[in-house]
Amino acid sequence: MRRPASAALLILVTSVTALPSTAIAADSGDPVRGERVFQRCYACHSVEPDEGNFQGPNLYKILGRPAAAIPGFEYSQAMKQKAAEGLVWDAATLDAYIADPNAVVPGTLMSIPPVRNAQDRSDLIAYLARSGRFQD
Amino acid sequence: MLRILATLAALTFLHFPAWAEFSDQYFEVPRGDGPHDVAVAPDGTVWYAGQKAGVAGKLDPATGKIERIPLGQNSAPHGVIVGPDGAPWFTDGGQNAIVRVDPETHSVKIWPLPPERMPYTNLNTAAFDGKERIWFTGQNGIYGRLDPETGEMKVWDAPRGRGPYGITATPSGDIWFVSLAGSYLANVDLETGQATVYEPPTPNQGARRVWSDSQGRLWISEWNTGNVSVYDPASDSWRQWKLPGEKPRTYSVWVDPDDKVWLTEWSSNAVVRFDPETEKFESFPSNRPNANVRQMLGRKGEAWAPESGTDRLRVIRYDPKTD
Repeated sequence: MRRPASAALLILVTSVTALPSTAIAADSGDPVRGERVFQRCYACHSVEPDEGNFQGPNLYKILGRPAAAIPGFEYSQAMKQKAAEGLVWDAATLDAYIADPNAVVPGTLMSIPPVRNAQDRSDLIAYLARSGRFQD
Repeated sequence: MLRILATLAALTFLHFPAWAEFSDQYFEVPRGDGPHDVAVAPDGTVWYAGQKAGVAGKLDPATGKIERIPLGQNSAPHGVIVGPDGAPWFTDGGQNAIVRVDPETHSVKIWPLPPERMPYTNLNTAAFDGKERIWFTGQNGIYGRLDPETGEMKVWDAPRGRGPYGITATPSGDIWFVSLAGSYLANVDLETGQATVYEPPTPNQGARRVWSDSQGRLWISEWNTGNVSVYDPASDSWRQWKLPGEKPRTYSVWVDPDDKVWLTEWSSNAVVRFDPETEKFESFPSNRPNANVRQMLGRKGEAWAPESGTDRLRVIRYDPKTD
C-alpha cells in the first residue's frame, strides 16, 4: 500500500522527532520484498544479533531504539546531536532517514543508494521490524 | 530526454591568500542531483554521477552550462571515470549495471551484471586495465570485469565478502582495489581474475579508496584511522601518515599528474593536499558545511571535488609542474 510519503517527509525534515510514530506503520510493508531492498544497506549494516557492527551500526531490533544508542559504536557528531534532541527510530523517522539521510541528520556519515519508492522503504522497514523491537 | 540546463554556475572565484598558487571555484548543479563522483575528459569537460537523480551530468567549466542525461529507470550512478575512448563510464548501483554515455550524441549503453549471481551488488567504482577492459567493484562483496568490445562480463566473489570499494589502474595497466569492510588492498590477475590480498600495517583501517601515482605506488584513504597510506609493490613496503585534526576521517584519495596526493577529510569538511616530498599537508575547507566530498579526480592543474552534500562541483586550480 502506498503512503503519502512526500508530505510526511516534508514534515519530518523540519521536525523529525515531533512526528507521531503512527504516521507510517511498520506492518504496512512486505518483509520478503524488504529483504531484497536491504541489499542496498547490506554493505554497511547487519540485522544479525551476533554479527556486531560494520561501517554502520547493527540494525537488529532497530525499531524503537533511540538514535546513537549502541555502546561503543562511533557515531557521527551529527547523529549524537540528534540523539540528544530525542530522535528515536520508529517507522516514520526511519522512512524519512532512508529517503534522504542528510536532510534528516545533516552531517550524517550514512550514505545509501537512493530508495525513492515509498513502497520499497515500507518493505524495508517491515523487514527490519521482523527482528523485533528495541527493549531497554 | 536530453535536458539542457543553462545553469548559471556561481562562477565564484575564491583565492587563497596564504597559497597564492591555488584558486577555488564552485559550480552549482541542479538541486537534488547529489553528485557522487566526478571525472574530467581530456578536453576539460567535466562529468558527474548524479546519484540521487539517476543522471549523468556534463559541465562545461568555461560557460558553466550543465547538461543532464537520464541513465535509465532506477538509475543511481555511484562512480564515473573517463575511459580510453574519451567517454564517461558509470558504475550504476541502481541499475546494477555498467553504463557508457556517448560524449557527443549522449546515447546511453547499458551492460547489466548477471542477476543470478547477486541481484544487487551495490556497484561502486571502476577502472580500465591496459587492454581496455573495465574492472569494477561491488560493495556487497564482488568485483568484476567487462570487455566492452565483446560484451563478456565476469564477476568474482571478493575476499572476506562485503566491502570492495575504490579501484585503480597503474600506469602499466594493473588493477588494484581496496575493501572498506575487509580493510585490505588487493591486486587482481588480469586474466584469471584471482585477487591477492595485501594487508595494510594498521588492522581494521577501513581502506575506502585507492589511487596509483606515476610510479605505480598505491595511495589509500583510510576511513577508520584517518590515515593516508601508500604501498610500493616494487619494494613491498608501506608508509602511512595521519591527516591533521583531532579525529580525521579520510574518505577519498586522488593522485594528480605531479604526484601530489589529494584527499578529502570529513571531520574538517575539507579537501587536503599532501606533498610526499615534504610530507606536509595543506587544508582547503569548503565554504559551506557538510560538503560530503566522496571522491576526487582531475587533470594537470585542476583538482575536482564533487560536493554531494551541497549539490556543487568544486575545482581547485593550481600551478602544475612544467614538463
